[in-house]
Amino acid sequence: MKVVLKDLVKDFKSADTVAVNRINLQIDRGELAVLLGPSGCGKTTTLRMIAGLEQPDSGRIYIAERDITDLAPKDRRVAMVFQNFSMYPTMNVYDNIAFPLHAIKMDRKEIDRTVREVARLVNIDQLLERSVRQVSGGEAQRVALARAMVRRPEVFLMDEPLSNLDAKLRVQLRTEIKRLHQDTGTTFIFVTHDQEEAMTLGDKIIVMNRGDIQQVGTPHEVFFTPRNAFVANFVGTPSMNMLPGSLRVEESGRIFVGLPGFELELPRRFEAGLRRMSSHHVIWGIRPEAIRLVSAPGGNCVPGVVELVEALGSRDLMFVRVHDQLFGVIVDALDSVAAGQACLLHFDGAHMHLFDAESELSLLLDEKAKGA
Amino acid sequence: MVVPVRERVLSYAILIAMAVLVLIPVVAGSLTAFKPQIIWISSPPVWFFEPTLENFEFVLITRQNWLHLRNSLIISIGSVVIALILGVPAAYGFARFRFRGSKGLMQWLISLRMIPPIVVGLPFYAMFLFLERATGLGLRDTHFGLILTYQTFLLPLVIWMMRGYFVELPAAMEESAMVEGYTRIGALWRVVLPVVWPGIVATALLNFIFAWNEFFLALILAGNNTSTLPMAAGTYIVRARVEWGNLFAVNLIIMMPVIVLTIFLRQQLVKGLTFGILE
Repeated sequence: MKVVLKDLVKDFKSADTVAVNRINLQIDRGELAVLLGPSGCGKTTTLRMIAGLEQPDSGRIYIAERDITDLAPKDRRVAMVFQNFSMYPTMNVYDNIAFPLHAIKMDRKEIDRTVREVARLVNIDQLLERSVRQVSGGEAQRVALARAMVRRPEVFLMDEPLSNLDAKLRVQLRTEIKRLHQDTGTTFIFVTHDQEEAMTLGDKIIVMNRGDIQQVGTPHEVFFTPRNAFVANFVGTPSMNMLPGSLRVEESGRIFVGLPGFELELPRRFEAGLRRMSSHHVIWGIRPEAIRLVSAPGGNCVPGVVELVEALGSRDLMFVRVHDQLFGVIVDALDSVAAGQACLLHFDGAHMHLFDAESELSLLLDEKAKGA
Repeated sequence: MVVPVRERVLSYAILIAMAVLVLIPVVAGSLTAFKPQIIWISSPPVWFFEPTLENFEFVLITRQNWLHLRNSLIISIGSVVIALILGVPAAYGFARFRFRGSKGLMQWLISLRMIPPIVVGLPFYAMFLFLERATGLGLRDTHFGLILTYQTFLLPLVIWMMRGYFVELPAAMEESAMVEGYTRIGALWRVVLPVVWPGIVATALLNFIFAWNEFFLALILAGNNTSTLPMAAGTYIVRARVEWGNLFAVNLIIMMPVIVLTIFLRQQLVKGLTFGILE
């Protein structure tokens, strides 16, 4: 079902900042939306307000056009999976899954049928008689998923359900959640601080910081066209190389960005937007994947010295010092340069990002959109 | 965990020495309870004799101490039940909600537990007397009066102990139940209480022991109708004479329920007092 947040505010009086600062958001029916942000950004508080576990100071919440702001959690027709809790310890797996059905006084036969059907869906039908001691962390989280599904909620809320699992299991369950979403066609709202998780899961990513929504977009949009410096820095691992700089516009119309120790030219297509911004202070950025090793000098090429190489598998992450600035550069492992060696870096203008130094908003967004 | 043999021998030696030290008076006294009067205080003490129940018959029937037993049971069980009914929800509240003055209130409650009974005994007597004169509501020499007085000591203990158990549980446990169709009370009842059940048993037992053993407040506030077993025991220490056999017979009656309960609830007790860390 469609979820709409309108002017939602939550202020825990104890903290310095407002937890959720008048946010507006629409999540469409059947969408898998991911609330992404660092800890304390308000993503969990937002989710808990949708669940009814936290009461907003002001603003309204609608699910399928129904104002649920003042309803008790149990009357909202939502389900929630938590990070640090998965199974009621005094009940076995079967009773855990049946638990929400007892609340609506479903008859025993119907309960049995539903529990077995849902258990099959998350592959725990062979665990039904097990007690909480006999299930692993991953299985317990599947029980939590089953318990969430069993009442066919209108909206699934998930608060970092995978954070306490080990890496392999996390990836496996991530895939299953995605599949579950496709099979049920229900609206999912998933909270995480893990941007990789957000990218792989989300139809729509809502990046939050300090109680504000920074950007709403598809995984590609938040990765390739970050609306501000925060999104650019937060999304992507290893994170974007970012430096302070200033613009220089030549008579001919060529635009350069002056960085500590060197200067790079921006592509011609940025010309229109930046022509009148000479000596404007900016934050310049480029992703490690967009820097290339080249053998012959040319435009936008800068020499550097490799300081450190981290193997990522098929690719290497090199840290290259250029004029006292350290750049993360991702290269094919076969092309890697050993630490201590000199190399020549090429910065691809098409993949550069520019943000206003003061507002931190992107200066290129419109141009990139045009170019795309 | 494997403990080296030497350490194990040493720790058992210390434990046995401590147990012997503690148990000698208990065993000697309990034996005396079964001795006929002529050998109560024989010197050297007699260890082998034909046990008799005449002391128990005397205290329970002749001296009607079964009435005291009844009073003790009513007052102790009543105190514990009321302390749990009031204290468990209060403890949950302290564990889950922060409100104006919640921290100070908690500290005040704990400090109540540290007051020596002698400090509250006389004021309670005065209050009961005043209440009786002002409203005609008599609390002196009633079971309820003592049950009420004992809450001064039981409630803080219940709240403090149970709060500890509730704090250990993730709030997501009942929040999960609340999203799944239950009210907070329903979630507490169906999900949280079953988990903290061993804690409730441990709390109940410790509180029962306090109320069951309590002597001083009963001495001040109880009367002919409500006099408890510890007070009955006191009646066998008269003038220059102690009726050892009768005294120990009552003592054994006092000790029995505590020992039996502890043995019966041992598993729950260990779980409750350690919160499962020994499993």
